[in-house]
Amino acid sequence: MKRILLSLAFASLLPAQNVTSDRLVHALSEQQNWLTYWGDYSAIRHRDLDQINTSNVKNLRTDWIFQTGQPGEFQAVPLVVDGVMYFTAGNGYAYALDARSGRQLWMYKHAFPPGRKANGSNRGFAILGDRLFMVTPDANVVALEARTGKLLWQTEMAEFHNGQYTATLAPLVVKDKVIVGISGAEFGIRGFIDAYDAATGKRAWRFWTVPAHGEPGGETWLDDSWKRGGGSTWMTGTYDPQLNTLYWGVGNPGPDMDGATRKGDNLYTCALVALDPDTGKLKWHFQFTPHDTHDWDAAETPMLLDLKWKGRDRKLVVEANRNAFFYVLDRETGEFLMGKPFARQDWATELDAKGRPILREHQDPTPEGTRTCPGLAGATNWMAPSYNPATGLFYFTVREQCDVYYTNPAVYIEGRSYEGSVSRGVTDEPEWGLLKALDPLTGETRWDFRYFHAPWAGTLSTAGGLIFAGDFDGYFMAFDAKTGKNLWRFNTGNEVHNSPITYMLNGRQYVTMPSGSAVLTFALPVD
Amino acid sequence: MRIAAVLFLCSSAACCQSELDFADGKTTFRGNCAFCHGLTGGGGRGPALNSSRLVHGSTVADIKSVVTNGVPGTSMAAFDFQKDELDHLVAYIQTLSRSAAKSEPVAGDPVKGRQVYARSGCAGCHRIDMQGSVYGPELTRIGAGRSAQYIRESIVNPSADIPLEYAGVTVVTKDGKRTTGVRINEDTFTVQLRDPSQNFQMFQKDGVREVIAETKSLMPPYSSLDKEDLQNLLAYLDTLRGDLNAGAAVKKAEGVR
Repeated sequence: MKRILLSLAFASLLPAQNVTSDRLVHALSEQQNWLTYWGDYSAIRHRDLDQINTSNVKNLRTDWIFQTGQPGEFQAVPLVVDGVMYFTAGNGYAYALDARSGRQLWMYKHAFPPGRKANGSNRGFAILGDRLFMVTPDANVVALEARTGKLLWQTEMAEFHNGQYTATLAPLVVKDKVIVGISGAEFGIRGFIDAYDAATGKRAWRFWTVPAHGEPGGETWLDDSWKRGGGSTWMTGTYDPQLNTLYWGVGNPGPDMDGATRKGDNLYTCALVALDPDTGKLKWHFQFTPHDTHDWDAAETPMLLDLKWKGRDRKLVVEANRNAFFYVLDRETGEFLMGKPFARQDWATELDAKGRPILREHQDPTPEGTRTCPGLAGATNWMAPSYNPATGLFYFTVREQCDVYYTNPAVYIEGRSYEGSVSRGVTDEPEWGLLKALDPLTGETRWDFRYFHAPWAGTLSTAGGLIFAGDFDGYFMAFDAKTGKNLWRFNTGNEVHNSPITYMLNGRQYVTMPSGSAVLTFALPVD
Repeated sequence: MRIAAVLFLCSSAACCQSELDFADGKTTFRGNCAFCHGLTGGGGRGPALNSSRLVHGSTVADIKSVVTNGVPGTSMAAFDFQKDELDHLVAYIQTLSRSAAKSEPVAGDPVKGRQVYARSGCAGCHRIDMQGSVYGPELTRIGAGRSAQYIRESIVNPSADIPLEYAGVTVVTKDGKRTTGVRINEDTFTVQLRDPSQNFQMFQKDGVREVIAETKSLMPPYSSLDKEDLQNLLAYLDTLRGDLNAGAAVKKAEGVR
């Protein structure tokens, strides 16, 4: 009897989740939840929640804090599903919490075989039905039962070779498949995007981001350089259910700063690829930085927007790229529509009519060092942007920082860095950051807010007229979406390496920003 | 001129070890060490390494220890190199050191130099062995940590290279009052500085009119020192090779951590 009572109580705490594929497609109609890494498939990161708004945000305060105790950068964006918060915390750990109180419901720890890399950042979960999906630092895809945290299956994405292959991203569930990417372009891998059957963990397809010789695009690699061509896929893609198309960013070519051994455009590195999610077949690609030698992965968010472009409704994909240009593409065809610099850059004079950069001379890395803007970390990076339909503005984080890039001939040794350089390229010039509100139709800046240091945190937009953002000095902040005025701030006590989310529970709006090793959740005081 | 020096080093080293080892160590050096120790090891913010007197010893083990553990209390960080990468780097650093085996001590009279230090008011900002102010850089170990050339430049033209931790900042409050000092910390919303009286001054940016990052050093240039005084001062500063952690040992004995 006692046992039954207990299990009933447990059941009321953790109802079986049933996040159908249909719910994921219509994630924006569940404004109270946060069902995918991006909050929905388009990565708009805007919520029609306005309990917290420009007039009362000054009263926002911490409601609860959960300490994971996990060292490293806390990059995981939590999911919130019907009152339960799920997140990974790096180093193979994952948690489920009561999203109202921050109390732990379960914890999962990935079992690393002896001798394997057991630490590394992670960016979170995907959910389907009652199953959660994550990747691990030793490149496994793991499925957990959402109500218990119990391991259901795990599949190795790539054979473990001295830790060359790693994985960090939050998976993306499309229909019955779990779509994931790989990391390791600094170690001489050949990158790919994989799809796994959500029920069994069996691989359904693989798209190689570096084509072999003889395949389309294979001619863009000198000799056998494609075999270690890099092209990591370490950030979650976006998905258009109507076009049945997946949009995924591909990282840098390897060796990173030594381009001599891999002459050619090096497709599909530093490109956006549009794939059929059922088969993994390429529909189109757009390469932002051909033959990159500055480590400018195209791992930035490919946000899907439907806007009136020059008088006609068009389905667009927009991206502020690490190479300092803001791009607008037609997401049905991949056609380049616009590209404008949003930060200091001195590597390209301009983009041509097809969006290909026209290079300045002498901006390649050299043994003596070449100063180039933006720096290795890029003019922006993986931290999420957001879009507010009311203002029509795109809000994102800019890193104003240049580097000195060095190169030396890269020698491939399994399990060792294969970068063709030392990437310690920091100059003494002051760096700074910006929260930038940009009109995606023109590429013009509407307003900027300047940060003292270049940050690693993304943004969130709400119908309360607010933009939430974080900075490198630990501040979590709220801004007026129209004017850029800072309305509220809280110092989290650690560099913020994450992007905020918001959700609604029992009539209260919450805003969550992980920082340090803690999940910090904020709300207005209850009367 | 710099190119010539590099070429000379290349050709002189090629006789003793394989070209590849040398190139590897040199590249690692340029990417990781040159920011502070100079492209050819001549020193800068960090000590000169083309000197026969390496501060922490010249054996392979000594150099490896410094590279992998860093030097606590200084800006020398700990570096995590692969074993063979470290071997090549150390071999390269040794070639730098050997190439300057005949380097001379700094000319001048250290005793007279000490008098120049005293009468020029250096202790008003600098500290040696716990004597003087903490406003400017600590000089207890300056002879070990910087090349004579770098120190000379720092005296005559301090703005030539300003260590980040001694960057100056001026805060103008709403009533027009200006406070200048060494920037201890600055973020998007606040700034903390140390004023010349060694006091902390702390500001919220929304409560001040302006925060100005000083582009010049807070130290005035001592370009009017006559040649002999300057040389004697340099000779004195070069003798300063004290233990920065001497004070820490006292604290430890007192139970202060």
